[in-house]
Amino acid sequence: MNILRALVCPVLLCAAIIATSISPALADPIEIEHERGILRLDGPAKRVATINWSFTESVIALGLDPVAIADPQDYVDWVAKPDLPESFVDLGQRASPNLEALRASKPDLIISVPDIGMAYEKLAEIAPVLELRLFDGKTPAFETAREVFGKIAKATGREAEAQAYLADVDQKMIDYGKRIKTAIGPDQKINVVFFFDESNVGIFADISLPGSVMTAMNVPIAYDGEVNKWGFGRGGLEILAPYAKETLVYTNPVPDVVLDKLLNSPMWKVMDFTRNNRVYELPVVWAYGGVPSALRFARLLTETIESGPQQ
Amino acid sequence: MSTATARNADLRGTLSLPAVLTGILGVLALAVLVIDFWPYLASGNISQALFSPDETDFDQILFHFSTLPRVAMAFLCGAGLALAGAAIQTVLRNPLASPTTLGVGAGVEFALTLFVLLAPASLAIFQEAFALAGGLIALGAVYLIAANRGNATLWLILAGMIVNLLLQSGSQIILLFNEQYLQSIFMWGAGDLAQNGWDDTEFVWPRVLTGMIAILALSRPLDLLALGDDTASSLGAKVTVLRLLILGLAVFITASVISAAGMIGFVGLAIPAALRIAGLSRSRDLMIYSVFTGGFALLIVDFLVRQFNTLGGDPLPTGAATALFGAPFIIFMLLKARIMPGNQNDDQHSDQQIVSKTTLSIALAASLVIGVVFSLLVSLDGSGFVILRWQDSSLDILIGRSERTFAAMICGAALAVSGTLIQRVGRNPLASPEITGVSSATALAMILALAVFGFGQRAELMVIGAAGGIASLFVLLALCRKFTHAPHYMLLNGLAMTAILGAMVRIVLTRSGTQTSMLMSWLAGTTYFTNMNEVMIVAGVTGILLVVAIALRRPLELASLGTDQSISLGLGISGFQFAMMLLAAILAASATLLVGPLSFVGLMAPHLARVAGYRLAGGHLLGAVLIGVNVMMVAEWLARNMIYPAQLPTGLIAALIGTGYFLILAARKR
Repeated sequence: MNILRALVCPVLLCAAIIATSISPALADPIEIEHERGILRLDGPAKRVATINWSFTESVIALGLDPVAIADPQDYVDWVAKPDLPESFVDLGQRASPNLEALRASKPDLIISVPDIGMAYEKLAEIAPVLELRLFDGKTPAFETAREVFGKIAKATGREAEAQAYLADVDQKMIDYGKRIKTAIGPDQKINVVFFFDESNVGIFADISLPGSVMTAMNVPIAYDGEVNKWGFGRGGLEILAPYAKETLVYTNPVPDVVLDKLLNSPMWKVMDFTRNNRVYELPVVWAYGGVPSALRFARLLTETIESGPQQ
Repeated sequence: MSTATARNADLRGTLSLPAVLTGILGVLALAVLVIDFWPYLASGNISQALFSPDETDFDQILFHFSTLPRVAMAFLCGAGLALAGAAIQTVLRNPLASPTTLGVGAGVEFALTLFVLLAPASLAIFQEAFALAGGLIALGAVYLIAANRGNATLWLILAGMIVNLLLQSGSQIILLFNEQYLQSIFMWGAGDLAQNGWDDTEFVWPRVLTGMIAILALSRPLDLLALGDDTASSLGAKVTVLRLLILGLAVFITASVISAAGMIGFVGLAIPAALRIAGLSRSRDLMIYSVFTGGFALLIVDFLVRQFNTLGGDPLPTGAATALFGAPFIIFMLLKARIMPGNQNDDQHSDQQIVSKTTLSIALAASLVIGVVFSLLVSLDGSGFVILRWQDSSLDILIGRSERTFAAMICGAALAVSGTLIQRVGRNPLASPEITGVSSATALAMILALAVFGFGQRAELMVIGAAGGIASLFVLLALCRKFTHAPHYMLLNGLAMTAILGAMVRIVLTRSGTQTSMLMSWLAGTTYFTNMNEVMIVAGVTGILLVVAIALRRPLELASLGTDQSISLGLGISGFQFAMMLLAAILAASATLLVGPLSFVGLMAPHLARVAGYRLAGGHLLGAVLIGVNVMMVAEWLARNMIYPAQLPTGLIAALIGTGYFLILAARKR
């Protein structure tokens, strides 16, 4: 018995040692499904480069500063929040991120979109590429954004943070939704509209990011017509007419000249939302972004509506 | 004069074709108006809807502030552009001149894009002057390139294409750096007639009317101009002043229309040209008819576009639609009409050489070697020059740089060979792969595959692109049965095909959102997406075809002298010529696959080689290759480093160099 124990013990010990020394490597390679099949990472990414603003804001929201960011100047104008980190490498245009700058930033993960899929191999030579699709024209954009958020969290080893963040988002969405209903009544639908120029407008439907966020908030969205891949319809002001009885919120930024002409045009003035004083102006928020932009949209929509219609 | 009058009288006596044409369009336009007005005609409140709409009735407001001004704008823009086209055609005595073909439209568009995106709001009052200046400068550049050449008609069109392509890519670059406004600018750029109120109409009508009255007042002397400078000056007209005045007015009308409604292509070209074919030759008649025919035609096209847009989804811009209607018409017109007596030997250069060919070749080869080393090792990083130092990633960086540098160089070589073959076989010093439309067709096939049919893999796109390029060559050959006798047919068909591509691209771009910027940089010619395997394949193809072409230099020499006696294919061209054109098309398609459709290297390199003294076919090929490779290498380095970290399209830089070359050439001729 003693002999047996003497024999078994070292074996067990060895097995235990081997098991503990191997397990971080074997049991924990991160596997993420993306546009190119399965991406395997040896460990959580620490130095992330983001080619699309949706990823940039998601990574920042997860508490990690991206090391390289495409088109940071326009991010400030169009996405606004969350704030960019103090220092990072500027990659230039989103459509053609500078590969040498990207390499110099020494990323261990590049998060990219299928829109520049033609450059996938080149990116992949620099670091593992997580290629994620944001819009497919079918899935509601907020659902996709949540999924993308989860994948980014997985790749950066921040799944717990992501879960907490998403749970918080869900709770806030419901609260915001209730506040909006209190402010404008339970049956009032909302149009979310943006202006191309003084004659052409876009209007978001349920599969767009604003639309799908409103679904999550349980606030009814007005537009139910034809949409494109990003979930908005486009046309002259007349496309707003069938939904004019409802509330209208327009997004920013809009050049002052365009806004001035449009809001003073007879067609705009005859619309019921103008006559019934149901027009609201939303501050800058990225309508094609990720979960942080979705939350920001929900918050700004609520605050805008609570603070009353535009004069 | 007498024969023209006689023909006119003859036509009037039997059945005046222009009148019938205008009449038919007028009736159709009236039908459009009746359809638009019907709800109010039927209910009897038409005068209310027309003059004082019921503030509470949405339909009436929509009719009064959207439909009506849109109809008015369509007529005004059509009338203005057609008149401008007729005036330019008469002044320049060129049936293919028009605001769009001579770069005026592109000049105005470029100036406006620049102004809208970059000028501070306080300068807004100068916007119109700026747009006008843009149009005039573009026209001036075109005129400068084409002036004093034997076949000015042909040169004018060619120069127009060069300036057009350049300015369009210039506009695109500005947009690349302002991606967020792409959708709005593209709607306008593609000719959007959607109206919200009477502002645009009130802007356009006094300007178009003023321009119209002034041009019509000056149209009597125009008939003298139409007889040629000699006759006109002997008759006492101050030819130059009059010409400039009328051209200025035509540009003014064009600038006003484009400021308000964006690029509406082909009305200014097709309407007067059609009227001319129908038998109008006196300029006053031509202009008056143009006003009405142009107005009616755009009214009808816009009505069709509106019906299409009510089907839902993204709206189709009217201007892009007119280009789609207009471009095939040009081809039809070319097949119908006999234009431009062929005078091909217009590009004679003095035979004296500045330096000997050997010295030049050695210098070019040396600059190539030094250039490659420099390109690979030196870069800019926003603060200054950086020399690549040895570290872990140096090899990867070198590979990355060499992929792009070699891609550009191979592309330069392929286009140079292609251009040389086309120029020699077509016996036309102005032909080039870009201008014959082969590159455009390759690009169009790839863009449709990418944006419409959803092919995303480069390999797939390449096969599709190659098929498109080669198909376009066959179309071209079928259209240009007589092209050895009239090489400009090939050019002009190329013009039409390039225009069709332009229209399709605009439509695709208004619809493809974030992919837009990738498509745009590729369209302007970028090496960003190329990889070494592709470079190797295209290098192999280019090398083999270059060797084939050099081996065939004797028959090539004969073919370019016009003494080729090979068996005719029944297309009016010989089997040898056909084979050479096929070679050229394959090369152009390969280069386009690698870096996109635009660069002008295929035009510039063979031209420059000839000017430099490489006259015999073999030397011409090699000289062109050396020049093409050098130009593209420089362009590539500039594209990568000029505005770090942004990556500019190489093709655009090469096109800038190319346009500069032709401008210098023009200036030196004076």
